[in-house]
Amino acid sequence: MEFEAVIGLEIHVELNGTTKMFCDCPNRPGDEPNANTCPICLWFPGAMPRFSQEALEKAVLLCLGLGAEIQPRSVFDQKVYYYPDLPKGYQLSQAHLPLSRGGGIEITDGSGQRKKLRIHHIHMEEDVAKLMHEMEGRTPISLIDFNRAGSPLVEIVTEPDFRAPEEAMEFLKALRTQVRYVGSSECSMENGTMRVDANISVRPQGTSQMNTKVEVKNMNSIRHVGDAIAYEIRRQCAAVQAGEAVVLHTRLWDPDQKATVPMRAKFEGPCVPDPAVPVIELSREWIEAMRARLPEMPSVRADRFVREHGLTAEEAAFLNADPEVAGYFESVVREGIAPRTAMHWVTTQLMPALRERQLELGGSPIAPARFAVLLRMLSRDEINANAAREVLAHMFDSAESPEVIVGARGFQQVSDPGALDSLISQVCEAHPAAVADVRAGQGKAMGFLIGQVMQASGGKANPKKIRELLAQKFGAKA
Amino acid sequence: MDSICHYRNSEPAASGDGPLRGLRVALQPNFSVAGWPAEAGSKALAQFTALEDATIVRRLRRAGAVLWGSTRMSEFGFGLRGSQAGGALLERAADVELVLDLMGESRAAASRAGVCGFKPSYGLVSRCGLVDLIPSMECCGLLSRSLAQIREILKVVAGPDEGDFSLPDEKAPDFSSQAIDPSRIRIGVLREAREALSAGAQASLQASVDELARAGFSMVEVSLPEHGLFPVVHRIAGSVEASSCAGRYDSVRYGARAPGGKNWNGMYIRTRGAAFGALLKSYLIQGAFFQFDRYGAFEDACRIRARLVAGMERLAAEADFLLLPAVDGAAPEAPATLAETYAQFAPTLFANVTGQPALFLPARPGAPGAGFQLAGPRRSDPRLIALGEHVLKGRKGGGQ
Repeated sequence: MEFEAVIGLEIHVELNGTTKMFCDCPNRPGDEPNANTCPICLWFPGAMPRFSQEALEKAVLLCLGLGAEIQPRSVFDQKVYYYPDLPKGYQLSQAHLPLSRGGGIEITDGSGQRKKLRIHHIHMEEDVAKLMHEMEGRTPISLIDFNRAGSPLVEIVTEPDFRAPEEAMEFLKALRTQVRYVGSSECSMENGTMRVDANISVRPQGTSQMNTKVEVKNMNSIRHVGDAIAYEIRRQCAAVQAGEAVVLHTRLWDPDQKATVPMRAKFEGPCVPDPAVPVIELSREWIEAMRARLPEMPSVRADRFVREHGLTAEEAAFLNADPEVAGYFESVVREGIAPRTAMHWVTTQLMPALRERQLELGGSPIAPARFAVLLRMLSRDEINANAAREVLAHMFDSAESPEVIVGARGFQQVSDPGALDSLISQVCEAHPAAVADVRAGQGKAMGFLIGQVMQASGGKANPKKIRELLAQKFGAKA
Repeated sequence: MDSICHYRNSEPAASGDGPLRGLRVALQPNFSVAGWPAEAGSKALAQFTALEDATIVRRLRRAGAVLWGSTRMSEFGFGLRGSQAGGALLERAADVELVLDLMGESRAAASRAGVCGFKPSYGLVSRCGLVDLIPSMECCGLLSRSLAQIREILKVVAGPDEGDFSLPDEKAPDFSSQAIDPSRIRIGVLREAREALSAGAQASLQASVDELARAGFSMVEVSLPEHGLFPVVHRIAGSVEASSCAGRYDSVRYGARAPGGKNWNGMYIRTRGAAFGALLKSYLIQGAFFQFDRYGAFEDACRIRARLVAGMERLAAEADFLLLPAVDGAAPEAPATLAETYAQFAPTLFANVTGQPALFLPARPGAPGAGFQLAGPRRSDPRLIALGEHVLKGRKGGGQ
């Protein structure tokens, strides 16, 4: 029997607000343990939560960026469960009335078709404390760091629309891009600002039943999410074929074993309304004002790049995978550089050069205007492409303008016919056979001669000009 | 005094020159006062010392009130078992006492002490800094011989607080004294509340009705057929909230450790088991049962609660205020079980379910019974207190 997988994701995204969700403590979980705490986020008796407007705005922008519909009324509940990382015994979460419903992301599935993966809802919640287990001493001890307790989170719950691990990976990459675009989170699985749980079940191909699902946790990269889902599908298919029942439970992904291992029975605690946290009522005007703050989303921007700048859909999508790159590209174009030149030089020269130097676009010395000066010299034939690459390398080490670098290091392109003519004559004398081939109309030999002249010029000659002059000399077509 | 006092302030200096200058206030150790023990009557919080003043405490201090100390209280203020609320007034050690009112404790304590007791509207006074148990029901009650003092305190403590986001933004009503014209006020007697009383308590209530009628008020009978559901709703919704909220009072964090646990989980379970008293434990277990096993019943209780609130609001069309019994003499004096506790507070817990203000007035000297309650619509607090002052003034004037 053929099986198909039914997969849904639950994604926790840590918002990058400056404070925690219910108090004014800095939202910096990485600081010295327990440095960022107060009676509210230590959940001391008598303390009352004070909901942060900034957390709300970050969460709303995130929802709007994913096409979700903000609910006019949402409510926090006490989600009851007990664990030492949550010593107050409940987590403030929106169990019944979430912040938004609907929304989704379009991806390209395995057969090349566009497919929309729907989001069921997005709710806000507070993060819990972090446990640290010290096993080294005579008595192993567990320590609790409350820096993360109360950090603002949203949980994105998808519909079970996914059928393959690759779809989950595509979705997560697109989600990460969208959320980074709106600026609500860094969405790094490696750093724990994005945490993904996958719910997986299998069923005979073509049926519509929903079978018992298994929850898989503990993946710390998008790659691991794909691997864990693929493993779990294989495991469940084998179990069903062997006539075993799938039981509702939670499994942990073990990246070393490349397998999921059972953790516990899945536990859903009850939720009790918390009258200490006010009901969140959002007016249509406020929601629209937030929508106006939304930057242009990647898919919209990519369409515009195709329309306005004449890029292909692939080129536009590539630039838009990172909002910084797309913004940089547009800044360069605004400086008057042809879009194709800008696209080509940003993606094939600038980005690799940054990676090589382990620099980020934002913090690099190559500001868009400075880069545009270089490209302008290139398009005016003041330098050639070889020289431009070298000037770019120098621009990382010196703050001087590209013009100054070109002048000081003699990168100017030689286009003067007098100077080129003497080089051409030398080359022709040295390579009579190639000259004969060119006279016989062989294009390849022409290329050879141009290369030789370039070499003789120390790479500074204008190749277009050489071709012109050679063509004149031999009466061939340029 | 030690039998009453839980913590005695060793430096009770009058701090400010405000309107409450020199007023001596006693409170319970579930109101946070920075540096004072705040165990809320429970071993679960043994060794817990408040880090900050509750908003109400800060406002009292600023207005010049003197914090006398805290009185012994029942576990988390639930019921009056072990409570000495009212004792500081009887000993003339304090002028006013703050007593958390979860199901009528402040009014019942006032009745025991023979003083006035007032439970404000829910949302009028900040709960920031109160060690809570049933957050949607409880609020700071005030005990005093003088309703004018209660008014003066409310002037200072009522109104929005940036520490308590659950309070409405509206300004506190004006607590200045105001005149009452009995001929323009109808007072309703809730038939179902009266019928639920024992014969003796009914007679006491009738004496109160007669007193108000003689004072010139129009007395009318009103009816809320669902009145009997108040205790059920309070018990289900209240126990669920308590069970969830008390998760915070995990004991372990404040230093308690019960031996014998095999791992952290066992240690927590044993410590919590040892920390809570029998009555509270049975309440929390009941709440956990509804949370985990009968959630539907909890949701029903919340729905019925909304209906009861609407029902009481409708009565405002027939009567400006309500006259209600405060105690039922047939109920046990020192309840030991949940059922007995709920029986004791059956006449008072309606106001915690609806959030409306309720005032206990001691009986006229020589009249049967301890006294009665007056209640008004939500946020009618200043008029309700003015009504009480009018009634008490009538007694002094001998106009019976």
